[in-house]
Amino acid sequence: MGKIERREFLKLAGTGAGAFLASGLFYDRLMAGALPQAGAGLFDEKFGVSKEVMTKVLGVALSKGGDFADLFFEYKVVMNVVMEDDIIRQSSENIVRGVGIRVLKGQQTGFGYTSSPTPESMTQAALTAAAIAASGAKLRPADLKESRPDKQVYLLDKPFVNAPLDDRIALVKEAYAAALAHDKRVIKVIANLLDEMQYVTIVNSEGLMISDARPQVRLGVTATAQEGKVRNTGSGSAGGRVGMTFFQQAGKTPKDVGLRAATEAVTLLSAVDPVAGDQPVVLGSRQSGVMVHEAVGHPFEGEGIWQKTSIVWDRLGQMVADPCVTIYEDATLPYLRGSMNIDDEGTSTRKVMMIENGKLVGFLHDRLSARILGVEPNGHGRRESYRVVPICRMNNTMLARGEATPEDVIKTVKKGFYALTYQGGQVEDTGKFTFSVNMGYLIEDGKLTQPVKNATLIGTNVQVLKDMELIGNDMDYFLGTCGKDGQSAAVAAGTPTFKIRQMTVGGRA
Amino acid sequence: MNANQQNLKALAESLVDYGRRKGASEIEVTVVETSQFNVNVREQNVERLTEAGTQDLGMRVFVEGKLATAASQDLSEDTLHRVVDNAIARARLGGVDPYAGLPEAEPIRSSAEELKVYDPAVLKLSPESKIAAAMKVEAIGLADKRIKKSTGAGFISVVGAWYLANSKGFSGSFHRTTVANGVGFQAGEGDNLLQDGWFEGATSVAALPTPEAIARKAVERVARLIGARKVESQNVPVVFEAPATADLLLGFLAQCVAGASVDRRQSFLVDKLGQKIGSDLVTIYDDGLLPGGRGTSAFDAEGVPTRKTLVMEQGVLKSYLLNTYYGRKLKMASTGNAGGVTNFYLAKGSSKPADIIKSVDKGLLLTGTIGFGRVPTTGDISTGAFGLWIEKGEVAFPVAEITISGNLADVLKGIEMVGDDLELNDTIAGPTVKVAQMSIGGKGAAKG
Repeated sequence: MGKIERREFLKLAGTGAGAFLASGLFYDRLMAGALPQAGAGLFDEKFGVSKEVMTKVLGVALSKGGDFADLFFEYKVVMNVVMEDDIIRQSSENIVRGVGIRVLKGQQTGFGYTSSPTPESMTQAALTAAAIAASGAKLRPADLKESRPDKQVYLLDKPFVNAPLDDRIALVKEAYAAALAHDKRVIKVIANLLDEMQYVTIVNSEGLMISDARPQVRLGVTATAQEGKVRNTGSGSAGGRVGMTFFQQAGKTPKDVGLRAATEAVTLLSAVDPVAGDQPVVLGSRQSGVMVHEAVGHPFEGEGIWQKTSIVWDRLGQMVADPCVTIYEDATLPYLRGSMNIDDEGTSTRKVMMIENGKLVGFLHDRLSARILGVEPNGHGRRESYRVVPICRMNNTMLARGEATPEDVIKTVKKGFYALTYQGGQVEDTGKFTFSVNMGYLIEDGKLTQPVKNATLIGTNVQVLKDMELIGNDMDYFLGTCGKDGQSAAVAAGTPTFKIRQMTVGGRA
Repeated sequence: MNANQQNLKALAESLVDYGRRKGASEIEVTVVETSQFNVNVREQNVERLTEAGTQDLGMRVFVEGKLATAASQDLSEDTLHRVVDNAIARARLGGVDPYAGLPEAEPIRSSAEELKVYDPAVLKLSPESKIAAAMKVEAIGLADKRIKKSTGAGFISVVGAWYLANSKGFSGSFHRTTVANGVGFQAGEGDNLLQDGWFEGATSVAALPTPEAIARKAVERVARLIGARKVESQNVPVVFEAPATADLLLGFLAQCVAGASVDRRQSFLVDKLGQKIGSDLVTIYDDGLLPGGRGTSAFDAEGVPTRKTLVMEQGVLKSYLLNTYYGRKLKMASTGNAGGVTNFYLAKGSSKPADIIKSVDKGLLLTGTIGFGRVPTTGDISTGAFGLWIEKGEVAFPVAEITISGNLADVLKGIEMVGDDLELNDTIAGPTVKVAQMSIGGKGAAKG
C-alpha cells in the first residue's frame, strides 16, 4: 500500500469537549500536518473563513430585516468499504463541504447554501436568504463568542477517521466470513462498513459560535439463504458514535453481526405467513424501538405541534397512555447512533420527557418551533447537511423499562404475534402508522413457536399508547436512518420487550 | 455551452488525464451542476424560500480490476488531485473483480433539446410567479369546506447539468429542467384524521398541470377518505388506482428487475427470463428516450446510451435492467440503466377505470399505501393501505387502517383488467389495474 500512512490518534488537550480530530485518510494530509487547535479554527485554517468573515456574512443575512440568522459550516468525510463475492468489491470516500445560511423572520425562513465557502459565494447565499424579510428594523449581529459543548457523548478513543483502510477491511472480512460460514444454505453475503466524521461550526446573530466533531459508524451485513425454491434475506448491524474498540464488545463483534444476519435468513426459510386480524402483540426488544420512534416520536416533533397538524398538538398535560408508559428522548446517552453533544443549531442536547407514567409532558423543539410556541429550544434541531434547513428530529427515543422479564411478558399471551426484526415503519401526522416485520414468531400458549415472515402491524398512535399494557425489564437499541421532508437522520430507539393488548396484524386472510 | 460549462467539462477531462498518469487503469469522472429554487407555503404564508447552486464531483477509479469510488463537493484542484491519489491507493487494497470496468465508448445520438427535457422557459420563471403558483394550489384547497388544514404546498424548479468523461474516450454532457407543484391536506374529525395530496412534476413549464388541476385532485383525494374505517379481514379483488399501480406494483417490480437484485439472488425474478410471469395484459417498458420524460437522458450514469427496453411482454419477462457491471456478471449487455430506471411504465390497456370498478362485486379500490413491506427476494408484499370499498360495482365507503398483502408473482398473474388511463408524468407510471385477489388485514379476531 504505502500511499495511506498509518497514524495514531492524536489527542488535543485531553479528549474534552470540542477537541478536533485529524483524519488519517484525508484531512490531515490536506492540512499538511497542521492540526487545527479546536472548533471554528478549522474552517478558518482550511477554508479561510475567519470570525470577521462570518460576522460580515451574518450582517448581510440580516440586511433586509430578518430577526435571526445562522451559518452552518460543515466538513464531512465518509468512508464505505463493501465486501461481496468474497472480495473487497468497492471502497468509497465522500467529501461533503459547504455552508448553509438561514434567516428567520417571524415564522418564515429564507435559506441559501453554497459548497464553495468563499466570501463572494457566501455573500450571494446570504442575500438570497435575506430576501425572506422585505422590511423591518435592521438588526446587527452580536459579537461572536466561541463556546464549547458542555459534554462529550462520542467514543473517540480509536476513531475510524484515523484508521488505515486495512483495519476497516479486516472488520468487514470477519463479519462476511461469519455469515457465510454459519450454514451452507447461506448463498450470498454482503458486508459493509460505513464510517464518517462530521465537523461542524455553527454561528448565529445572537453571538453563538460553537463546534462539534461527530463520528458515526455502522457495520452492516445482509445474508440470503436458500433451500429448494425458498429464498430469504436477513440482516444485522452494529455501530454508533464510536471508534474501533466498540466492535470488541460482546454482542457487537463483526462475527456477532454476521451471525445475526445469517441466522435470520436461515430461520426465515421455515417461516410461515402470519395469522391476519386483531390479536395481542409482543414486541421484542431488539428492534421494536422503531415502533416508539414512529408511533410516538414523530407526532411529538415541534412543527406538527405549532402547525396543529399533529394528532397530539393540544394534549399537553393529558393522560394519553397507560400509566406503565414512560417515553423520553435522550441525545446525551453515550455513544448511540442518535447521540449528539449539541444539535445542528448549536443548542446543548438534554433529556426530554415526552410521556411520563402515561401523561403527555413535553414535545421536541428546534429554534423555530420553540420561538413560535414561546418555549425553550431543547436540542432537537437537526439537518442532514448544510444543503437543507434544520427541522425537529429525534435522536435516541426511549421507552423506559418495566419490571416483567421478557419471558413473563410472552407468557401472558395465549395466542398472538411476536415481532423481532423490521424492514421499517411509517407514520403520518394523523397518527396512523404501519410497520413491516421482517421476522416474528407465533405465540401459542405463552411460548414462541413458528417463525413468521411477511407481517405488517398497523394502527394509530393514540390507540397503541392506550393499549401498551406490560413492559419488560430488558433493553436493546434499534439503529435507524429516519427520513423526514426528504432529509435523513441517524437515530437510535431503545425499548424493552413489551406487550400491546390488541393490534391489527396484516398478512394472508 | 457557456464558459462555466466548458470549464466543468474541461475539469472532468483533466481529472481523467491526471488519474491515468497516476496509475489508474481506468477512470471515470462525473460533474453535476444544479441550481434550484424552492418555495414552501403553509396556510397562505410563505414559510420557506430556498435558492442555491451546487457542483458535485464523483469518480470511479479502477486499478487492474479493483474498484474505488470517491465524491467531493470541494472542487479545488489540490483537493481533487488528493482525492484521486487516495482512490488509487484504496483501489489497490481491494479485490480483483473480473467484471469491473468501464463500458466501451459509444456515440450519443440525442440531445436534451431533441428529447424535450430542457425548457429555457423554466429559467425565465420569476420567483414571484413560482410563489404565486404555490399559494394558489393551496388557496383553492383551503376554500373547500371539507378540508380542515393544509400540510403544506410547494413549487420547485431545478436546472441540472451533467458532465461525464472517462478514460475510454467518452466525454459527454446533458442537461434537464424540472418544475413541480403540489399540496397536501388534512380532513376528518377527532382522532380520525386523514391526509393525502397531489403533486405534479414536468420537464417543461407547458407540461406542468395548472394549480387549479393539482388542487382539485389533492382535495378530492383527501375528501373521499373522510370517515374512513376498517373492514373485516378477507380475500378480495383489489383495483389499483393509477398512482398505486406506479407506487406499489411497478415501484416494487423495478427493484426486482434491477441487475444488482438479480445477481445477488435478492429477487424473485432470478432465472425467470423468458418465462411467463404475468397475465397477458402486462406489458412493461423502460424508456430512457421518452420525449419530455422525467427520467429521460441521452446517456446513463456511466455514459452508455439509453434506450427503450421491453421489460415484460404480455406477461413474459423479457429483460432485466442492467448497468455494465451487472450485465457482464449476468452475461448480458447493459441496458443503459446505470442510473436505475429511466421512465418505467406499464403499457395502457383498453378498459375505462369506471368499468374496472363496475366489474367488482366486493373489493378494495387501493388509493395509497403506507409502510415498507416489500421483499424483493420473495416478492412478498405486506403493507398498510388506504382506499375506497367497492360493493356491487360502486364505491361504498372509505377505508383506512387496513393492510394488504400478497406476492408480486401472484399479483402480476392475477391482473385481469388494465385501464386506458396511463399518464407518463413520473419516472414510474402505470394505469388503473384490477388484481383478482389479495388479502386484506383488518377488523376481527385472528382466525386459523
